[in-house]
Amino acid sequence: MGATEKSRAVGRNVPRKEGLDKVTGAAKYVDDLTFPGMLHGRTIRSTIAAGEIENIHLGFARKGFTIADCRDVPGRNVVALIELDQPCLAERRVRHFAEPILLLAHEDRERLLEAESLVAIDYREETPIYDPEKSDHCFKEIRIEKGDLARGFAEADVVVEGEYRVGLQEQLYIEPNGVIAVPENGGITVYGSLQCPYYVHRALRVLLGLSDDKVRVVQTETGGGFGGKEEYPSMIAGHAAILAWKSRRPVKLVYDRVEDMVATTKRHPGVIRHSTGVTRDGTLTAIKIDVLLDGGAYMTLSPVVLSRGVIHATGPYRCDHVRIQGRVVATNTPPNGAFRGFGAPQTQFAAEVHMERIAETLGIDSVRLREKNAFRPGDTTSTGQKLGRDTSALRVLREAVSRSDFRAKRRAYRGTNRGIGLALFFHGSGFTGGGEVKLASKASLELTETGARILVASTEIGQGTRTMHAQIVADTLGIPYDAVEVAAADTARVPDSGPTVASRTCMVVGKILERCAQEMRRELGGRSAQDYLAERGSLVVTKEYSGPDGLYWDDETYRGDAYGAFGWGCDVIEVERDPETWQIRPTRVTAVCEIGKAIHPVLARGQIEGGTAQAVGYALLEEVAMRDGRMANAQLTNYLVPTTLDTPEIDVTILENPYEHGPFGAKGVGEMPIDGPAPAIVNAIRSLGVDVRSIPATPERILEAPSLSASR
Amino acid sequence: MMRLPKFRYYSPRTIADAVAIRSDAGPEGAYVAGGTDLYPNMKRRQQTPKVVVGLSRISELSRIGEQNGRLVLGAGLLLSNVENDPRVRAEYPGLAHAVSEISTPPLRNMGTIGGNLLLDTRCNYYDQNYEWRKAIDFCMKTDRQQICWVAPGSPKCLAVQSADTVPVLIAMGARAVLSSGREEREVAVEDLYRNDGIDYLRKRPEELLTEVVLPAANGWRASYRKLRRRGAFDFPVLSVGAAVWREDGKVTSARLVLGGVASAPVRLSAAEAVLAGRPLDKESIEAAAAAAAGPSRPMDNTDFSFLWRKEMTAKFVRSALADLV
Repeated sequence: MGATEKSRAVGRNVPRKEGLDKVTGAAKYVDDLTFPGMLHGRTIRSTIAAGEIENIHLGFARKGFTIADCRDVPGRNVVALIELDQPCLAERRVRHFAEPILLLAHEDRERLLEAESLVAIDYREETPIYDPEKSDHCFKEIRIEKGDLARGFAEADVVVEGEYRVGLQEQLYIEPNGVIAVPENGGITVYGSLQCPYYVHRALRVLLGLSDDKVRVVQTETGGGFGGKEEYPSMIAGHAAILAWKSRRPVKLVYDRVEDMVATTKRHPGVIRHSTGVTRDGTLTAIKIDVLLDGGAYMTLSPVVLSRGVIHATGPYRCDHVRIQGRVVATNTPPNGAFRGFGAPQTQFAAEVHMERIAETLGIDSVRLREKNAFRPGDTTSTGQKLGRDTSALRVLREAVSRSDFRAKRRAYRGTNRGIGLALFFHGSGFTGGGEVKLASKASLELTETGARILVASTEIGQGTRTMHAQIVADTLGIPYDAVEVAAADTARVPDSGPTVASRTCMVVGKILERCAQEMRRELGGRSAQDYLAERGSLVVTKEYSGPDGLYWDDETYRGDAYGAFGWGCDVIEVERDPETWQIRPTRVTAVCEIGKAIHPVLARGQIEGGTAQAVGYALLEEVAMRDGRMANAQLTNYLVPTTLDTPEIDVTILENPYEHGPFGAKGVGEMPIDGPAPAIVNAIRSLGVDVRSIPATPERILEAPSLSASR
Repeated sequence: MMRLPKFRYYSPRTIADAVAIRSDAGPEGAYVAGGTDLYPNMKRRQQTPKVVVGLSRISELSRIGEQNGRLVLGAGLLLSNVENDPRVRAEYPGLAHAVSEISTPPLRNMGTIGGNLLLDTRCNYYDQNYEWRKAIDFCMKTDRQQICWVAPGSPKCLAVQSADTVPVLIAMGARAVLSSGREEREVAVEDLYRNDGIDYLRKRPEELLTEVVLPAANGWRASYRKLRRRGAFDFPVLSVGAAVWREDGKVTSARLVLGGVASAPVRLSAAEAVLAGRPLDKESIEAAAAAAAGPSRPMDNTDFSFLWRKEMTAKFVRSALADLV
């Protein structure tokens, strides 16, 4: 072994591991698979938002059907996640529209649909709660306290207050949720489109009352996730498994787009209130933030979403006196859950629009205001985390301002129908607080005749997991990229590397793999793989997460090192206003991101472009119309995401400031790009003289918003 | 994915055969050309015809040609053929533009001009899948016993006319040829529509739209403006077709038609009258635009708030007329 500098993989745009299969159509997604004797499953859901089930009338001949309700659950009727509050199938009580009640399976899909139309359920309805401000059930409350808030406000010349609102957003992965459950070997195997095989594994163990070795979860090629396949697959896999368990036959359950949108999780909507003390010259002296998120009917991952949300709520700015109070509460809508960014896009939207408003109030340049207060190495965050040398807030800000020619354009656009706005943001890589220590993720590397095989539970969901992991391993072992294989994410073969979420797959799991490869290289001691295997038979190296020394976190007080590292970003977005309709069209995005090290520059750029486009939708177009607790626009004809024509040109600049504990210096990149565009777009609209403080900033909202001169 | 219900499919080669099969099928039958409207509706079980008569093999329907100075478009012409036809582009740019605003290029490579004229009316409570509609106990458009959810007191369905080509075709005075096998009749496109979301067409179910006839292209110009949220895909939720005839610098006649605000296209007679006898200039356009807002009475059943759509009406009429100056 031994590679020359030229053959190194890291930093080069090597071909994707699964790229050829995807472009040739050879890749198998879950709906492409079939098993002998397979049935098709269907979920009967509640048509009310709150109440009790009184009667279920089937209305069809049962022959040939497998019918299951909550009484057919062999183990505990819960979707095991943080809190065991969500039933896999409703028992008596219904807490949201589209809550699963009954499952049907049949060989013939037509018969299944006919049968479904004949099911009638009687309810005793109750008054639902849709307004989070009126909720009487709080899932989680978090308080972050730094310094002495009263003192901070006493030091201020001016106090700027504001309320900001963000809406629901649908993940809209291209492949809807789907699984196949196969009863085998006295247990169950589930194949599915999912992000976190071991989350599903645990949920199935609890639901079916099975031991570890009786449950197997295999990820099939997955058409996107964006967080929407973090927790929900545990639900749909549970349903397929219940039907398979009862029928003793394989059962396929694949949602169509409407069902996927109506029933599965969305980004939490929220109301964020800021009160900031600032001196005349623009120094932040006190920050008080109140975050309220709507969790929907069950807890799912809401507490962790809130946690990331409140930790990012100040934006990347230093201040000695901070109080952040966050709550996530229950309402009678389908549960909200994980979505790229995970609370941070909501709170940083508020922070960056508020920052703009502070500059407007003080009458100072908003870039200067940001420069003055942006985090520097050695500063402490709201949780007291001391920031390291890889703190690049100022660098990304200055790069974006100069690359976009921000100041000159802002002057030139004044009084026209063009606007320009900016947002500075940061995003913690990996699980929050002590999360990574608790997870204790493992990764394995197996020596093969021709190289090495990666064994991780991290999933490829379009973002490039397999490719990027193989690059890290290839260079660490000093072998060609093509000599590294990646095993399928199959719980029967791979260790639990934790979930594929939280911008952790490269920085955290990639680091464990790097350590596996280092040890394998030492163990080989210069021998070839063939020689080693001939001599010793096999070599598998497994390593567990081990955090950098000195990381400290206290979950009781919310003090300490919230993340191993932060990525840093700055977006400048130019918009054009239609003078007649007030429709806002973004024309150009300058995105500058500091991500430690781009293992695969094209894939990293793809993450930034994709996250930016998704955020353009969040900012301007995507509105989940909830009517009586049900999504009224659950189709692609009326839930509008940006088309190519609605997506501006995106100029991406990647900066590298290596994080010493990341593989080859890498930090996370997956989520951060979705934090900045929404506030940058709203700030661009503000530069046109409109006081917009909520998204999506539709023309109707913009027309209703007061003009800036009026509201100041 | 959503799947089509079972149905029997015929693909006749002549108009006469098509009409005969469709007549025999009665209320269970439907014609299909490109299928971009019907098949999604069938997947959502909004329509469940048992007999579907495919028109794509009837070559007569795809002809394009001149007849006494008029341009005759076969109803089966693909929208992309119409959009890219050199004569349509040169002489009927308003129509070419309206066609180019329909959905997306792939859809225009499937959908036909005839299909666009006969597009089903649309509504937020109707264009939903079966389960969703079942959860609200359906609506009047699919179940006559039910109410209209847009306006529960309404005696008729309020689903919206949403075809891009219709307002401009009406404005330019285009005509449609309907065939019932042996007999043919020609009607003004305007007379094809009825302001009822369910019975929105004034044609017998078995009558086949075979041709769209464009008047000779002299002495007038037409334009089209469309409101939608995105740059592609979306149906119009307010649209304006305008045509102006001029002599010696003065408007001799004008037609202004709104789409997307009622179950049928809406003629703006008052605004048309304002223009007659005046030059088409800033003042006359403003006056016409001011007269246009009143008759625009959109309901809350499409994208965008209905108040906003109403508010945009005058602006869109102004822009459509400004295109013709």
